[in-house]
Amino acid sequence: MGYPYSHEKEVPILSKYFGDPEARTLNGWKERGGYEALKKALDMRPEDVVEIVKASGLRGRGGAGFPTGLKWSFMPKAKASAKAKAKPHYLLCNADESEPGTFKDRELLRWVPHQLIEGCLIGAHAMGAQHVYIYCRGEFFEATQVLAKAVEDGYEGGIIGDDVLGSGEKIDVTVFAGAGAYICGEETGLMNSLEGRRGEPRVKPPFPAAVGVFGMPTTINNVETLAAIPHIVANGGEWYRQWGSEKSPGTKLFCVSGHVKRPGNYELPLGFPLKDLIYDVCGGMIEDRALKAVIPGGSSVPLLSAEEAMGCALCYEGVVEAGSMLGCASVIVMDETTDIVHQVMRMASFYSHESCGQCTPCREGTAWVTTILQRIENGRGTEDDLDTLVEVTEQMTGTTICVLSDSVAAPVQSSIEKFRDEYLALIRRGERVGAV
Amino acid sequence: MSKIPFKNPGWAGNVGEYNLSEEQVRGIDFVGVRPLEGGHAAGSATYPYMLEEKDPEGPLFEGPYRARFEKILTRYPTKRAALLPVLNLAQEIRGHVSPQTMDRVGELLELSSAYVRGVATFYTMYNKRPVGRHLVQVCTNISCNLCGAEDVLKAFLYHTNTEIGATSLDGAFTVIEAECLAGCGFPTCVQINSRYYENVTVDEVPRIVAQLRDKGAGLAHSTGPEGEG
Amino acid sequence: MAAKTTKVDGPDGVTLTIDGQEVTVPRGTTLLQAVQGTGTEVPHYCYHPGLSSPAQCRLCLVEVEGDPKLLPSCTTTVAEGQVVHTESENAMRMRRGVLEFYLLNHPLDCPICDQCGECDLQDHVFAEGREHGRGRDAKRVLGRDDFGGDVLFYGDRCVMCTRCVRFMEEVEEKPLLTVVERGSRAVIDTFFEQGLDQAEWAGNVVDICPVGALVSKDFLYKARAWDLDHTPSICPNCSQGCNIELHTRDNLVHRMKPRTNPDVNGHWICDYGRGRYEWLNRGDRLEAPVMHAGGRKTAMGWTAALEALTARIDALGESSVKAVVSPFWSNEDLGAVSRLTQALGGGAVVFRSPRADEEVELRGYEGLARRKALAPNEQGAELLGCERVGDDAGRGGLDDLAEHDGVVLILGDALDDQPEGFAPNAALLLYLGAYTSSALASAEFQLPVTTFAEQEGTFTNHAGRVQRFWPALSGPGTARPAWLVLGALLGALQNEEGPSSAEQAFGLVANSVESYRGLDYETIGAQGGPSGALVPVAGD
Repeated sequence: MGYPYSHEKEVPILSKYFGDPEARTLNGWKERGGYEALKKALDMRPEDVVEIVKASGLRGRGGAGFPTGLKWSFMPKAKASAKAKAKPHYLLCNADESEPGTFKDRELLRWVPHQLIEGCLIGAHAMGAQHVYIYCRGEFFEATQVLAKAVEDGYEGGIIGDDVLGSGEKIDVTVFAGAGAYICGEETGLMNSLEGRRGEPRVKPPFPAAVGVFGMPTTINNVETLAAIPHIVANGGEWYRQWGSEKSPGTKLFCVSGHVKRPGNYELPLGFPLKDLIYDVCGGMIEDRALKAVIPGGSSVPLLSAEEAMGCALCYEGVVEAGSMLGCASVIVMDETTDIVHQVMRMASFYSHESCGQCTPCREGTAWVTTILQRIENGRGTEDDLDTLVEVTEQMTGTTICVLSDSVAAPVQSSIEKFRDEYLALIRRGERVGAV
Repeated sequence: MSKIPFKNPGWAGNVGEYNLSEEQVRGIDFVGVRPLEGGHAAGSATYPYMLEEKDPEGPLFEGPYRARFEKILTRYPTKRAALLPVLNLAQEIRGHVSPQTMDRVGELLELSSAYVRGVATFYTMYNKRPVGRHLVQVCTNISCNLCGAEDVLKAFLYHTNTEIGATSLDGAFTVIEAECLAGCGFPTCVQINSRYYENVTVDEVPRIVAQLRDKGAGLAHSTGPEGEG
Repeated sequence: MAAKTTKVDGPDGVTLTIDGQEVTVPRGTTLLQAVQGTGTEVPHYCYHPGLSSPAQCRLCLVEVEGDPKLLPSCTTTVAEGQVVHTESENAMRMRRGVLEFYLLNHPLDCPICDQCGECDLQDHVFAEGREHGRGRDAKRVLGRDDFGGDVLFYGDRCVMCTRCVRFMEEVEEKPLLTVVERGSRAVIDTFFEQGLDQAEWAGNVVDICPVGALVSKDFLYKARAWDLDHTPSICPNCSQGCNIELHTRDNLVHRMKPRTNPDVNGHWICDYGRGRYEWLNRGDRLEAPVMHAGGRKTAMGWTAALEALTARIDALGESSVKAVVSPFWSNEDLGAVSRLTQALGGGAVVFRSPRADEEVELRGYEGLARRKALAPNEQGAELLGCERVGDDAGRGGLDDLAEHDGVVLILGDALDDQPEGFAPNAALLLYLGAYTSSALASAEFQLPVTTFAEQEGTFTNHAGRVQRFWPALSGPGTARPAWLVLGALLGALQNEEGPSSAEQAFGLVANSVESYRGLDYETIGAQGGPSGALVPVAGD
């Protein structure tokens, strides 16, 4: 169920045991049907497990939306042969949730850690990985410790380790705590961080499935993606497709924040109308104010105006149609009291703070964009600055190793396009529209 | 200013429709008290490393910490990969990562001191300078910002009597801005040392600061190594 | 972590089209290398042929048909049938955009920056950048940082290509440089005050820095790049024989830079060698032939000097010769000494040379080290039959020469350690060299010769490789190459023509050394020619 509020329209699959403290324990999870899927997977050939995931159409839930089954199939097929021992395979779980507006992975970690562990073990079996690293962001102390305890219980209970559930397979799990860097949520940045380096993204190619962490074949998946795996394996790929659309099957944890009455996580089928999410599931706007803008997928995607939001369906293709992207489905709702320029400036300063500094367009550009926006906010901007912002963010798109640079372009360009008068009010009259 | 119509139970988090205690939500009883020497090696790298009590001259590493250090090393194929967990452990003991700490960690892991410096300064959570007993990190990113985070930050600065990033004269508090803490449904999210305080409003701030100044009296223990609140 | 790019030689050729031109290159070549092969260059910073390629400067972006994104040419390998446009509208627009970001915080230091005139940023912006920048806000200021050794760091000018960091990590294998902080706060630094003190090849980071961020203290404000003449030469400070360029202006050497030679020193030279060029600028030079006879010293012209010398030698008749040479002189010069010695009746030729206790390896480049033998031509001397005497400070060992009563012939070694009036019993004390000393005050003839920097010639390095150098300076006064002087003297004694070019002089040497058979200036070329036999020089 959603946390901290639930709604009848939800389809609780991953979130079924949110708010249920027993679900953290190993026995509690087993009582709730846990580790049956793992048993089933261990009896299957790895390729067949990959096929189920492919059939389900599950797409990466970390923001990129890349088909998970396809990603898993990129791993070199290797069993516990001499060759595999020479080239150990790794599965990395990306629990470095840092995208502004996103808070689903924390709930998944602290309420149902065994769901994630089960997904990791199934994934490791499917891809021939012998070691799973769960990279948790450094700030997640409490959730990480819950996960660490669950992993310990897993080792004690024969679920993880030298002989997984008596199958003879050896899979290890290590929980890794980060140290505060958004860029380590980027898959190659995460690999570098895990290797004990600065978390700077790498050039692709080579791709992680060929040369990943420690130079070995690696797959990285988001927490939510891996948490869905046990359910998909237990019930079959087709089962997962009963929700969502052809291109966006299944359910998604939507993180709603901002000016709604009941913010929180809600698990809904993909394709759910954004309008209903705000006004029905979340109980509407605070003090019933008017909606001004919505960011449908975390700060890295373009803003939607209120009009566009009303017609938006929350699936990958639906949000693109409405003029933005689904990303990690973190819905940030802004009402009429919002000062758009200030919020865009804050997002730009976030990216500037978190840029790793490798690529010059991002390193210089994020800081420059932030400075210009601050100047505009302080009433010292000019109309040329708006053109500069648009052109500069254009120059930052498609020229860098990772897409942090492109992410700055999204809020800046979309807000200038859709809320130009707010910028002009500040530039021409020093007037601030909105209070927050 | 919009008012968030939640009932803030006063400890952390909004439990909404659920009937849960703080221990249940945080998982405190589930985790229990974790042994200083690291417990199972799989989780040995995941201890809270922003603690109230710090020993800037603490040895790296002796006693149970040495055991934990050894366990950490067993989980990675290279010594370099243990760098972040070992820096976490060093900060757990010393409270911040000083040049001497970087040098010593480099020695332990056979890495050059300059390399360790490069890595340590990349990550936000490694304190380059000593901080107060309580490091107050207020999220001012967009979701919390929309719900008054900047006022909460100002309130913390006022009630702790500090400038942003500086330590209060009594050594109790350092207040900084943080980026999104992934508690966006519980605005404003504030992390104080290793603990999340959610749904913090301006009215809550004086009480939180007073309680902390009073060395954690009346607050439930968070999940930490033995004896740490 | 950067991708390593290596050129794979092999029968597999890949054919692709670059800017309308069809080229075939070995499989595994990167687009940037393939473009270099056509004679043009894609602008770049972080790529360097001696280092790994992180593809982070984002300047080498090119357009490849079929790919919606521009690709970094330094890490993209060639594929059959690729059609590449390095100067398409898209590519130019993107590079212009990236260059704008580079200039955003870059200080307008050109008037006071050493790199001016040899600066990649100047070149690329001039070729492809915007006319005006759009930044209106204050630039970040980082100031100047002394990294220790010879290296100064101007943080404001840095373009964060991280070549210096990668050099220290991958080639010197001492990770003393790092990037500190992240994002727009990122800056190159060392471990606080530790600096680069432990480094022994750190001068190379000044060479590879594409802008004026890392500069040499020694060269600071000395000369403008465009005023300098570059002459290919060989480093004279040890027997590795690193290929270098001597940069000169107004007949003074201002600095030494490495010249690429994959078989000797790659792209690198050591700090020990790089810093020792001042002796080439010494002002206390012999400038004219001086004859010491009847208690008087007379400076004269060459014709008179050679006439007097020839007469003197003829008068001596058969006489045994003992000679001491210097391993800082070329094969041609040493060969001439050898031939003259034999013509005069034969005798021993010795040399003294300084030695270090240890080699200084460049761990990341196999076969490259600052050798123990601290002179460039010990091997050449030994192959010509000379024997090393004296201690590791290059002193002593000349006792029996000092007693000799025949002809004492000295080339190059100024006998700084010997007492006044060396070889008082010698029938004839003939000195050819660049400087004089009190020991040589009694020499009958002191003839001024050029140092290696003032003549053409060859050195033979520790591995037996013969390498050519060219004259970077004009010798002072009427100084001439020793092979010319001795050749003329021998010619006069034997009624023949001496060699009139260094090439000819080398030909004479090659005839007398087995391992030089088949070598001539053409085959040696600018990259040197391997020699046959490898004579290990003791102490190497």
